[in-house]
Amino acid sequence: MPTITISKQDLEGLLAAPGEAPQPITMEQLEESLMLVKGELKEQNPDTGELRIELQDSNRPDLWCCEGIARQIRVKRQGSLAKYNFLTTPSKSAKRLNVVPGLEEIRPYVAACTSTGYRVTQEGLAQLIQTQEKLAEMFGRKRRTVSIGLYRLAAIEFPVTYDLVKPDEVTFTPLGMDTVMTLGEMLLVHPKGLEFGGILAGQDRLPVLRDAKRQALSFPPIINSREVGEVRVGDDALFVEVTGTDLSMVVLTLNILAANLADRGAVIEPIEVRYPYKTALGKAVWTPQDIGKSRTLPVSTIEQALGQALGAQEVAKALTAYGYEVTTRGGKVTVTLPLYRQDLMHAMDVVEDVAISRGYGDFSPVMPSQFTVGGLSRIEEVSDRLRALMVGMGFQEIISNILGSPQDLRDAMRLQGTEWGQLVEVDNVMSQNFSALRQWMLPSLLRVEAASNRAFYPHRMFEAGEVARHDLTQPLGSRTVTVLGGMIAHADAHFSEAHSCLDTLFYYVNQAYSLEPIQHPSFLAGRVGGIVSGGKQVGVIGELHPEVLERWQIGVPAVAFEIDLTELADRS
Amino acid sequence: MDISSLIDSLHPLEVKVLSTFEANPSAVVQTDQLAQSTGLEPSQLSMAVEWLLAKSLIAVDTETVTPNVSLTKIGELYFEKYSPIERVLSAARDAAKTGKRLTIQDIQSREGLEPAEVSGAIGRLKKEGALLIIQGGCIESTGRPSQTAEAMRGLLQQLHGAPRELQAFPEAQRQVIQDHAVKRGNAREPFRIDDRVARALKLSVTGIEAAQQLSRQGTAEEVSQLTPELLKDGSWRTKRFRKYTISLRAPRIAPGKRHPYREFLDTVKTKLVSMGFQEMRGSLVETEFWNMDALFMPQFHPARDIHDVYFVKEPTHASLIAEPFLSRVKQAHQNGGETGSTGWNYPFNAERSRRLVLRSQGTAVSAHTLATQPAVPGKYFSIARCFRYDQVDATHATDFFQVEGIVLGEDINFRTLLGLLNLFAREVAQAKEVKFLPAYFPFTEPSVELHVRHPKLGWMELGGAGLFRSEVTRPLGVTVPVIAWGLGLDRMAMVALGIHDIRELFTDNLDLIRSTRGAF
Repeated sequence: MPTITISKQDLEGLLAAPGEAPQPITMEQLEESLMLVKGELKEQNPDTGELRIELQDSNRPDLWCCEGIARQIRVKRQGSLAKYNFLTTPSKSAKRLNVVPGLEEIRPYVAACTSTGYRVTQEGLAQLIQTQEKLAEMFGRKRRTVSIGLYRLAAIEFPVTYDLVKPDEVTFTPLGMDTVMTLGEMLLVHPKGLEFGGILAGQDRLPVLRDAKRQALSFPPIINSREVGEVRVGDDALFVEVTGTDLSMVVLTLNILAANLADRGAVIEPIEVRYPYKTALGKAVWTPQDIGKSRTLPVSTIEQALGQALGAQEVAKALTAYGYEVTTRGGKVTVTLPLYRQDLMHAMDVVEDVAISRGYGDFSPVMPSQFTVGGLSRIEEVSDRLRALMVGMGFQEIISNILGSPQDLRDAMRLQGTEWGQLVEVDNVMSQNFSALRQWMLPSLLRVEAASNRAFYPHRMFEAGEVARHDLTQPLGSRTVTVLGGMIAHADAHFSEAHSCLDTLFYYVNQAYSLEPIQHPSFLAGRVGGIVSGGKQVGVIGELHPEVLERWQIGVPAVAFEIDLTELADRS
Repeated sequence: MDISSLIDSLHPLEVKVLSTFEANPSAVVQTDQLAQSTGLEPSQLSMAVEWLLAKSLIAVDTETVTPNVSLTKIGELYFEKYSPIERVLSAARDAAKTGKRLTIQDIQSREGLEPAEVSGAIGRLKKEGALLIIQGGCIESTGRPSQTAEAMRGLLQQLHGAPRELQAFPEAQRQVIQDHAVKRGNAREPFRIDDRVARALKLSVTGIEAAQQLSRQGTAEEVSQLTPELLKDGSWRTKRFRKYTISLRAPRIAPGKRHPYREFLDTVKTKLVSMGFQEMRGSLVETEFWNMDALFMPQFHPARDIHDVYFVKEPTHASLIAEPFLSRVKQAHQNGGETGSTGWNYPFNAERSRRLVLRSQGTAVSAHTLATQPAVPGKYFSIARCFRYDQVDATHATDFFQVEGIVLGEDINFRTLLGLLNLFAREVAQAKEVKFLPAYFPFTEPSVELHVRHPKLGWMELGGAGLFRSEVTRPLGVTVPVIAWGLGLDRMAMVALGIHDIRELFTDNLDLIRSTRGAF
C-alpha cells in the first residue's frame, strides 16, 4: 500500500478537460472522489497544496500517481475513457530497440517508447520520479521484476541495443557520481549497486542499454548514465524504458508511464523491440501495447453478488464510467480493461468495480436473515469458568504479551537445558525482548510482580491464556496450549496458600488430582509438586526458587501454580 | 448537638473522666487527683482532658506551673559512670599522687570523653581553683575541692530514677542544675527542667448536664465490638455500643477482578455469541500455507517478507500440508484452477507453504474453519493473538488481538455484507451513523472498510470486510458465498480504559491494573 505525495494544483490541472481552465476541488469533493481509487487522505498542507494519499489497492499500480488518480476521477465524470491514440498507429519510421541473445537467462524483457511535446514541469518531474520509484519498489518487487529508466531523447541515437557485456567492458559516469566507472565497480561502490546488486548476483555478464553510437544509457536495473539518463525540468523529449523478468508486467508498466505522459499532453511514439528469442507476444513487440483480454460474464452473476437487480444497461454504464470497454448481448456483458490495468483475475473483480463506480452508498444494507446458533469453544468455556473462580478467590487478572525473551522465559527461570526450557523461537529477531513464544505462564506473572513492588501486598494475580509448547512430534513442531497460571506474593507467602487455591479449583471443576514430588529448577526443592490428574501431569505448583526471585529482582517470596486447561477441557 | 448525641459521641476515656464528677458536679479537681480517681495512665488522662476541653465540657479553674528536674539519659549515664567533671578531677588527683604528667589528650583518650565534655569540665574546675593548666597542655590538681563536682554527685544520686521539683533544692545546687540542664543547642547535659502544669479542673455548664445524664444512664458498659459471647448470653442488652465516625475514609482493599482489557474483550465475545457466532480457535504457530497461501496472497506479496512476518527458527517447516488443499491452492495461485480465476500466474513453491510463521492474521483461523466443513448457514468468530514484525511504539504492538470471522450462506452478497457491518456498528460500537468505503484485501472482493461515528471518538475505522474470493473458498471446499470480516477494537478499548499508549493494554504495573475501572 503505497503512500504518495501529490500537489492539489497539479491534480486540478489534470482533472480539467483539454482546453478548459482547472476548477478548484474542495476537500469534501476530494475525499468523495478518493473512494474511486481506494485512496485515503493522510495529510494535507493547505499552504503548499501538498496532499499525502495512501492507495490501498496493491493490484492497481496505475493509481499510485497523480495522473492515475486524476484519470480515474475524470473517467467517472465524463462517463467513459477517452481512447489513447498511441496504440493503433505505429509510424513506419518508428524507432527500434534490439535485444541480444543471452538476456533470456538474466533479465529477458524490455519495453520502451518516446515522449515529445510535453515540457517537463517541476510538478511533472516530481510525479515522474515518484512513479518510477513506487512502481519499481512495490510493483516491481524492489526492481527485481520491473525497473524503469528515463532519458533525454535528444542525446540518443537509434537503434538502441539491450546488450549483455562483461563487468569491465563498459564504463560510464552513473547518476549521483562524478567519475567514470565499470559496471563491476558500480556494483561494488554505487549506493544503488549495493542496494540492488543482489538481483544480478552470480552473473558473469551484465545487462546494459547502449545507443547506435555505442554510448551507454544505463545499467538496468541498477543505475542510469549521468549524461543521458538525468531528466531535468524543461526537457521536452524523453526516452522511457522498462526492463524486467515478467513480460506482461513490463508492458503494463510502460503503458502506465505512457498514459501518464499522454495525460500531460505528450505525444507518445511506440518503439519496436526485436528479440532474438521467442516471447509470449512474439519476437517483434511494439510497445506500448494493449495486452488485456476481454472477459464475458452473465449480468446475473454481477447482480447476485451485489444482491441487487441492475440490468445490463446499468452494469455497462457503471463499468464504462470506470474505464472499461463494454459490450452487452443477451444478458451478458463482455468487458475489457483499459491498457493501464491488468488486475482482472475473476468475475468478482468486475463486480467490485461496478459497486465502486456506482458508489457503495448506492447499495442499501440488508440483514443476513438465516438463523445460526452462537457459542463459545469448549476451551474458552473452561477458561472462563476457572477465571471466575480465580476472581472469586481474590486474584487480579493480568494479561501479557505472548512474545517474550529467552532470558525471561528460560534463563531467569533456571530452565536452560531442561525440557521445560524448550522454546519456539523467532528466526528473524527484531528485538530480543520479543523473540520467543512463552512456553508457560509464570514468567508473565513474574514480569508484573517484578514491576510492582510498590503496589500494596499481598499480591494475588493470574492469567489464563495461550502458550506454545515445543513438540517435534507435532506437524507444526509445537502445540498451542491454553493454561492458567496463578501466583501469590507477599512477605509470608506459603506453599499451602497456593495449594488451597488449587484444591478449590479442582473441586469446582469436579476433577480428582494429587500432588507428586518432582524436581523443577524454578522452584525450591522439596516445595514443588507435579499436579497429576487422570494419570497425567497437568501442571505444577511450588514456592519459587530464591535465585529465580533474585533474577527477577523480586524482594518477597512467591508461590505459584500452573494448570494445563487444554488437557482438562479435553476430558469431558 | 443535643446532650444525648453528645454523650454518644464520647470516647470511653472521656466518659471515665466525666464520671468522676458524678458525685459532686461542681467540684474543682486537681489533675493528679483525677489520675488517682480514674486510674488512667498520664498520657491517656491528658488526651481525655484535652478532648473534653476542646468540647468545652470541662474548664480550667486554676493552673500552676512548677519546674521539675529529672535526669536525662546522659544524667543516668553520669550517675553510673561519673560525670566528666568528676572523672577529670579524679584523674588529675591520681596523677598528682603518682607524679605523672597528665595532658588533656590523655584524659580524652583514656576516659573516652568528648572534647567538648573535657574542655567544659576543665574550664569549670580551673575556675573553681581545683585545677591548674601548666605548660605543654598538662593539668595539675591543686588539691582544693570542687564544689561543682561534689554537688554533682549528690544531685545525680538524689535524682536517679526520681524527678523532683526544682524548688526543693538549695540555691547552690539549683545553680549547678541550671548550668547543666538541657538547653536549646546543648542536648548533652545530665539534667532536664520541665514545666509541670498542675491544673485544677471543673465542669462547664454543659459538662454538668452531661455528667448528670451519664449518671442517669447508669452503669451500662460501653463496648466497641459485638461479640459471639455477648450474643450467646444476651448480655448485649446491658451494653452500649460506641458509635463510629462513619465519615472516615474506608481502608483500601484489592479485590479479585478481571483485567479491564479482558473484560472489554469478554463483552465483545458475549455480543458476538448473542448475534449467533460460534467461536473458533487456532494455533499460535502457523504455516505460510494457512496464514497466506490459502488466503490467496501470492508468495511474492510484500506483506509476506521477513520485514512483516515472524518466522520460526526451529523447526523451520511443518511436516506436511493436508491434501487436497495444497494442490488446489497451488492451482488457484498458478492458473486459477477450478475457481474461475486466471490466478497469479507464477510458479507456486510448495516448500514455501510449509514454512512456519507466527500467525500474522486472524483470517488464518477462518481459513482452517473453511477447510473443515463449516455449517451453512454459519457464523464464526475468533479473538486471536497475532504477531507482526513491527517496531513497538505507542501505536504498534508486536503481539495483539484480532477480532475476526466469517459468515457463510446462500443469501450472502454485497448488500447482506453491508447489513452485517451495520449490525456490528450498532452492537459493538453503539454507533448509529456508518460509512462504507471501498477497500483492498488480498482475499476479498468486493472489499469494504467500515467507518462509524463513535459516541466519543467521532468518525473512526471500525473494521474491514468483504466477500471471500472464490480463489480462497473453492480450494477449501466451500461453494457458498462467504463474508470475511475483521474488527479493529484496540482504539475503542484504549478509550474505554482511558489509555493513550497501546503498550499499556499489556501493562506490568499492578497498581494501574488494580485501579483501572474501565467504562463499558
